[in-house]
Amino acid sequence: MKKYLLKCQVNGKNIEREIRPDKTLLEFIREDLGLTGTKEGCGEGECGACLVLLDGRAVNSCLMMAAQAHGKKIITIEGLRDEKNPLIDSFAKEAAVQCGFCIPGFIIKAEELLSENPEATDDEIKESLAGNLCRCTGYKNIIKAVGKVRKKCLK
Amino acid sequence: MPEVIEKFYSLKELWKKLPKLPVDRKYLAGGTDLIVGYNLGISSNECYLDISDIRELNLVRENKKQVFIGAGVKLAELGKNSLIKRWVPALYDCVPHFASSSLRNMATLGGNLANASPSADGVCALAASRAWVLLNLYGKRESKPVLSVLKGPKKNALKKDQIIEGFIVPKKRHKAVFLKLISRAKFGIGKVGICVCADIEKKFVKDINVVLSSVAPTVFEAKKTSSILKYSYLTAKIVEKASETIRTEVSPISDIRSAQDYRREMCGVLLERALRYIA
Repeated sequence: MKKYLLKCQVNGKNIEREIRPDKTLLEFIREDLGLTGTKEGCGEGECGACLVLLDGRAVNSCLMMAAQAHGKKIITIEGLRDEKNPLIDSFAKEAAVQCGFCIPGFIIKAEELLSENPEATDDEIKESLAGNLCRCTGYKNIIKAVGKVRKKCLK
Repeated sequence: MPEVIEKFYSLKELWKKLPKLPVDRKYLAGGTDLIVGYNLGISSNECYLDISDIRELNLVRENKKQVFIGAGVKLAELGKNSLIKRWVPALYDCVPHFASSSLRNMATLGGNLANASPSADGVCALAASRAWVLLNLYGKRESKPVLSVLKGPKKNALKKDQIIEGFIVPKKRHKAVFLKLISRAKFGIGKVGICVCADIEKKFVKDINVVLSSVAPTVFEAKKTSSILKYSYLTAKIVEKASETIRTEVSPISDIRSAQDYRREMCGVLLERALRYIA
């Protein structure tokens, strides 16, 4: 097996690692970097639990090989926590979290949306989060939590 | 599982390195189909060639007569592109129906065609827009109608190492509509997909192309239906005749998503809706 020299930036830090070519980006983030906030749900792109920001775009890290991230900037939920992203506080305040497994994916997707469209309507929030599943049925509070941050953006 | 993975930034680099790479290889663009298969243990190749950052595959450009859409342009970008909006309205209309927005950040039209799914939304829109696919093998290019690349469910007619460089769409002003019947409001594989591109003036159909997905072994053009509608006024009688004809042209199956009879029935219903929107 020929190892791949992966150079990328994760949460602002430059990373250079030799990796197995069969690693997905999700496995690299969780196993090699120990950033376990990014979750594996379905492994098929249906649930959104594995979302990370890749050059500012939310992508399903379970459907990317780690080598595809070469030369890119990755932000995980830990990166948003470290920069005290208001979405994290808002999800807690609005009780948008039950078991919490899906939440990192929701926050990553919401961050992408609000970065691009700080005035997103509720319908736009729903549309944007359509690829994220929550099995504790917490959608209303999740949408509310994202909406609260949007309103702060507007002030 | 891949023993080797290589990333390329230009076609020249790809063709140069290719002879030295393992023969059991797959091309990786968006990965939204290939890696699902890998995660499920269905697809297993010795070598993956990452072509997602090849410059030539990531362009949308125009000349006087045509629009070129690179095979590697992400669907999310196509959904914001003004050239696509103006000249390929079927594709512009189709993008929001395509999976979730995070998958649209990854998926490509080239992958959509190469994967040869009977339910391929993007292929349906391209075919309705009378797009041609530009293929490239070691620098030797050829172009052919998009649907000619499809040979059956998950089977394409590409030669070994022949890659999809992009799509060529003629610049011709027309109206377009893409409709998709799915179980989940915004995210899912269709029970039936239909795309209609037409040049209509005062209900007279000067030209029309009706293409369907999820109701045959491949995405296909409903030629008999289109020929009934072409050079006709969209009267209730003609629309009814066309919707009856389209039900005879399709060959759907029953599966987890829908029943054969329901799919067949809905082809006619969706055609009527599409014609109403477009007229």
